Parts: sequence; structure tokens; C-alpha cells
Amino acid sequence: MKRNILLVTFILSGFLSAQVSFDAKVSKKQLGINERLRVDFTMNTDGDNFEPPSFENFTVVGGPSQSINNSWINGVRSFSKSYSYFLAPKKRGEFTIGQASIEIDGETYKTLPIKITITAAIDKPKDPNDPDYIASEKVHLVAEISNTKPYLNEAITVVYKLYVAQNTGVRNWREIDSPRYSDFWSQNIDVKSMNVQEGTYKGEDYRYVVLRKTVLYPQKTGKLTIEPLSLDVTIEVPSQRRDVFGRSFMSTVNRTVASRNRTITVKPLPENGKPEDFSGAVGSFNFNVTTNKQSLKATEALELKVSVSGKGNLKLFRLPKLVLPSALEVYEPEHSEKVNTKAAGMQGSISDTYTVVPNYQGSYPIPNVSFSYFDLKTKRYKTLNSERLIIEVNEGPVGASNPNNNTTGGIAENVITPYLNQFSSFKTTTNFKPIHSKPFFNSNLFWLLLLTPFLLIPFTIFMVRNRMTRALDVSGNKIRKTNRLARKYLSTAKKSLGQKEQFYNALERALHNYLKSKLRLETSEFNKEKIEAVLGTKNVNRANLDGFISLLTSCELARYTPLSVVDMQNDYDKAATVINALDKQIK
Amino acid sequence: MCLVGFSQTSGSFRQANHLYNSGYYKEAIEGYTSILEANQHSAELYYNLANCHYKLNEIGPSIFYYEKALQLSPDDPDILNNLGYAQKMTIDVIQEVPKGSVWKFFNKILNSLSVDGWATRSVGLVFLFVILFLGYYLSRSEAKKRLYFVSSSLVLILLLTSLVLLFKKDRLDQSVHPAIVFARETEVKTEPNLRAETSFILHEGTKVLVIETYNSDWSEIKLLNGETGWMPNSELKALK
Repeated sequence: MKRNILLVTFILSGFLSAQVSFDAKVSKKQLGINERLRVDFTMNTDGDNFEPPSFENFTVVGGPSQSINNSWINGVRSFSKSYSYFLAPKKRGEFTIGQASIEIDGETYKTLPIKITITAAIDKPKDPNDPDYIASEKVHLVAEISNTKPYLNEAITVVYKLYVAQNTGVRNWREIDSPRYSDFWSQNIDVKSMNVQEGTYKGEDYRYVVLRKTVLYPQKTGKLTIEPLSLDVTIEVPSQRRDVFGRSFMSTVNRTVASRNRTITVKPLPENGKPEDFSGAVGSFNFNVTTNKQSLKATEALELKVSVSGKGNLKLFRLPKLVLPSALEVYEPEHSEKVNTKAAGMQGSISDTYTVVPNYQGSYPIPNVSFSYFDLKTKRYKTLNSERLIIEVNEGPVGASNPNNNTTGGIAENVITPYLNQFSSFKTTTNFKPIHSKPFFNSNLFWLLLLTPFLLIPFTIFMVRNRMTRALDVSGNKIRKTNRLARKYLSTAKKSLGQKEQFYNALERALHNYLKSKLRLETSEFNKEKIEAVLGTKNVNRANLDGFISLLTSCELARYTPLSVVDMQNDYDKAATVINALDKQIK
Repeated sequence: MCLVGFSQTSGSFRQANHLYNSGYYKEAIEGYTSILEANQHSAELYYNLANCHYKLNEIGPSIFYYEKALQLSPDDPDILNNLGYAQKMTIDVIQEVPKGSVWKFFNKILNSLSVDGWATRSVGLVFLFVILFLGYYLSRSEAKKRLYFVSSSLVLILLLTSLVLLFKKDRLDQSVHPAIVFARETEVKTEPNLRAETSFILHEGTKVLVIETYNSDWSEIKLLNGETGWMPNSELKALK
């Protein structure tokens, strides 16, 4: 038969100048991993040596099947021959169906490669004429979600169960597509032993196996999709044929089962009352800051541990940072996690351990740290405060102080720090001053005290100058000297000018005093002769001597004679000149 | 009246010292504060008060009162020593912009006396100068004259320096208003309102300089490293 057709074709090919075509067609270019694909390689002229492509990434489920279509319409012959394949994808992604080739009339023709996109499993296989329809009714993969409306960062568990009807069997399965939980933090929990359990599925008795458990922590709010899990399952289905004993034969079917797409709604954490230091912890926790030593020597190491323990998203938030006095040397904290993930979520503790080395002695308070989390039981935020720790460093250098005590400021420059060995104790004595005492600077007193001393300089200079000019002025000096002598000896006489007796008494006393001081005469020696003799030896000239004697005489006479004020004045002036003249001559 | 007041304050000072020595720091603080309330102060009072706060691990007040004590007595080794201890409790590390050694030397001299200290020193130097100058003017012998001239010129130079320092110090005191951060932690903003961005965070006990104030509840502050920002007045305590 084939040969005949070939022959006919061979004969007719001469007549018909028909164009040779050979192309590949696919039933769809995009399909889910649980669907199938039909590929047809069609030619309009029969050829030899058909070579299909390799179909890597696909499993050939059916084919190749050949079909030939030959028809005559209005005397025109049309011919087509096709090779069909049914393909099932092996994995997700974009794949190419390669070139098929055929030889027609000695020439090789090739089809164009076709790109196929394989997506995640599609809920309903679009092919209703699936041959293993029964199998699809008997085996189900179900994803059970513990909570479809969790809070952000609240743990939910997804349990995948494979339900198998009572009269069917599952020989083995292979995971062909595992879900990617892109908006979740996820962790698979190993299912150690697969125990077959009894259960119901849509009211019917089924057996089921828990295939996989996953804990998910949603990281985004809103509607999130949990992608389905796809399995390639080899299923034994009872067929219509029965053996001699009436038992039905089991036929084996390969089938891809997938769980349905599930959507969950993730609620955001309430904004109301959200503490400032909230870092995303959700669950129920304890918070502690502990130290292994309370007092130590300088340069010894100390460990400070900030730890959070409890249930919740332990791996998904940051521990609060310790803020330590700058005088302590602090190394980067070492983070450690002791967390078990169970079906209910994470449980355990996480901690940051800081190694602290104090270099100088002193007492160092560690400020308390707060840690906030959202408590799922009360649906409220809770803030835990650590206790304030004080580290006492007892021995060691006192050392340089903080760099920030170098002040540009007006008050104190603390660079000069003669550090003592220890904290100094209180001072026992003090002198109090009123707080609001007036500043001395810029006060009147200040300016007075600052400037008046300078006035002393010109004043002194003036005085000295004055004295010097006087010393140079000779005649003036004489007059001044006379005046001075007269002042010295005649001052009492001058006072009593006008009262005769007193005046002359004073005048006489003055003359005597003068002689006493100049000639060193004793009062007992006072008589005119003696005076004359002494004055004579001192080279006093006659006129002055007479003048002096006459004065003494008039003093004696005056007691008995009335005298006017004018006479007294004359005698006074005379006394002044005589004393002056004598003074010059007595050396 | 004044005498009575004085003996009262020194009595309560002794009493507070006694409380301090027995370890009743809170009560001692009350005692010292009562003296302050009576408008009396001294470097020793501030120093003892600061010690009490230090013993109670209150960083801000402790540093504040040490600085107050230093204002009255800038060179006291005990105050400097204990201030060093208190500063070890602070959290912020502020690296000062490095200054030249000449500047440092000048600053050290400038801050060794208070304004009134410089004022009294200047007055004293004026008197000394005038006496020496007159001595020069009045003395007759060549040797004495030379001695007086040299010493009076030296004193004049000292006097002029001291006056320059006095005015410089006064201007500095007028322009610089140091303050101590009292809040345990405070955000320094770029603008004087709460919506503004936070430029940095300061902790208790850090010394800042107030540049200006706005609406009497915000202060623009400058750190020793030159950074500036705004923070609420209530979280600061001015030293002047």
C-alpha cells in the first residue's frame, strides 16, 4: 500500500509543480506543568527518513502516530501526511522543540524550532479527554493551611497531604515542581516517617499520607498566593478487565497531581500604639541583658549578653543594640541562635554577646535597653525593659579622659588633667558667695582702679619738676627761706599781733629760741653781753648785731610803754629780716 | 542679717557633708540644693553636689555640677579628676576638630582665670607698673634706673597681655553658652520642629554649645567637632 502511494506520488510529481512544505505545529505554546502538548509534523509531499527531534525536557506520552490525508476536489489533489506526538513537560521553564527532518525527492527539509513555555501547574487540566481521568478522581493532593488570615510575621503551617481512594494504589511519586514561597520566610519540616492514615475527603473515606510540612512567616501584607505543589504519581487503577477470580486487573497510570492555588490574606500589624523601637518581632518573648561580671579589673574582658527567648519569628528581627559609655572598648557582638522550628513555628532563643574591655577604672552604668514585640495572644504591643547594670572597674589606670572634655567653650579647659589615683571625696570647707554677685570686670571700681594709678605718673612728674625749678630760682629761694624761718620762729608772735604783752613775750621767746637752736646757748646764759660776744665771734656784722640787740631791748621796753599796732608790725618785720640776715651769716 | 544667713548656709553645708559621708546621697543633694536656693554658691558646693550625683550614677547632673564648679575654680585638680570619672560614663564620643599647639597654648592661658580673675590681675599689674615707673623716674643712680626701667617695661607687657586676655575672655564668655544634655537620649534635628529630619543622636552628659534659641523652646547647638543642629530646650541645661 505504502509502496503504491509512493509510486503514484512519484508519477504525479512530474505533473504537479506543487511547492513542498514541511512544518511543525503545536497545540499550544504555553501550558501548565500538569498539561500535555501535541506536536504535529505535517508535509504535503510524502518523504522518507523522518527524524523526530529529541524532545528533551519532555516525556513522550503518545506517538508517533501517522496519518495520511489524500483527497481529490475538483480534480485537484491535495495530500498531507503527519506524524503526531503527545508530550508531557518534565519541568518548568522555557524550552525549544527542536527541528525534525525528512527527505523528500532526495532533498532534506527541516521544520522550524518552536518555543514552549511551561508554567506552574494549572488548577484544572484543560484537556478533558485525559486518558487517566479515573485516576484524577481517585488521587488528590491537598494543601492545608493552619490560618488563612495571619498577621504579618505570624507563623502559619502548610501541610501537604496526598489522599488516595480506597481501591486505588500509589506505587511511587516524584516531586516535579515545588512551590517557591517568594513573599514568605519558609522552612520545611522533615516528615520522618510516612504513616498511612485514614481520613475523609469530601465525605468519602480515603487514606492519606502527609508528604510535607512547611512553616511560613508572611513578609508582606495583603493577598498572597501559596503556589501549588506538583507531583508525578504512578497510580494503579482497577481496570474493567477481570481475572478468573473476578478481581479486576490493575492498570498503571502516570499522572501529575497538583494542589490548588491557595490565597491567604495577611493582616498588617496595628499602627496604633506601635512603639518606636519596634523591629518586627511577633510572638511572645522574654528579654534579658546579663553580664558575667559586675566588678572587675581594668583590661579584663567582660561579656554582656542581650538575649530574647520565646516563641515567634526569632530569626526575623534584629536584637536591640546596646549603647555603652564611650570609655569602654566594645567589640562587635557575636550573634547566636538556638532556634528549633516546629510545626507551630520557631521556638528558642537568640542572643548577641558583646565583649567589653574597660581600660580605665571607674563606674560605668549600662543604660537600660528596651525591646518591643507584638503579642499575638493579646493583639497588643508589649515593651520589655532590661535592668540597668552598673559595672564597677576597681583596679587599673585612671588614664586619659574623654576627648570631649576638651572644651573650646568659655568656661573650662580641662586638658590639664593631673589625674589622681581615684575618685576624690567631698570637700569639707568652703567660702560661700552670693550667686548673683556683680562682676568686678566693667564695674566702676574696676575702671577707677585700672586708670587712676596712671594719673599718679603725671602728678609725680609735675611735683618733681616744680621742685627743681624752685631749686634753680636763687632770689626767690632767699625770700622763701626767710618766710620759712619767720614762720618757724615768729608764728606765735604773728598770731598775737595787736596784743602788746603777748606779742612781745612771744617775740622775745622767738628770738631766744632762734639763738638757742643756732648758737646752742642755754637759757641761763641769756644776756645782751653774752649774745653780743657770741655773735661777734660768728662774724656777724655790726648792723645786724645792733638790730638784734635793739629788738631784744624793745621787747623789754614794750612792757612799760604803750605801743601801737603799727609799731608791733614794724618790730615783727624787723625781727624777720634780722633773723634771716643772721641765719645767712652764722655758719 | 547677712552673718546669720552665712552661718546657716555653712551649717547646712556641714550637715549635707555628713549625709554624704554616711552614704545618704539623695538627702545630701537636698541639703546642698537648699544652699543654692538661698542664693549662695561655691566651687566646693558644686563639686560635692556633683559627687553625689556621680555616686547615684546620674550622668547629666553630675557633669553639669562639675562644670559649674570649674567655672568658679578652673584649675582645681579634684574637680578635673572627678569630672574625668563622670565623663567616662557618657556614651557620645565627640572628636574635637584638631587645633594647632599655639592655639591650644593660648586657650590654656586664657581659661586659667575667670573674667574677674583677669580683671583683678590687670588692676594689680597697673599698680605694680606705676610704682616701678615712678621708681625709675625718681631714682638717681644709673644702675637703679636701669633696673626699674627693665622691670617696669616687663610689667607693662604683662599688663597689656592681661588686658587683651581679659577682653578676649569676656567676649568669649558672652558669646559661648555651654550646656549639658540632660535627656537620656535626644534626637538633634535639622530644623527647630519635630517633623524635621534627625541629623544625629546625643546622649546624657554630652557638652554642647548653644548658638541661638528659637521661640524659647528650641536651641541651635554646636558640638565640639563642629556639627550643628536643633534640639528642644527642655533636654538641655545651660551652664550660664
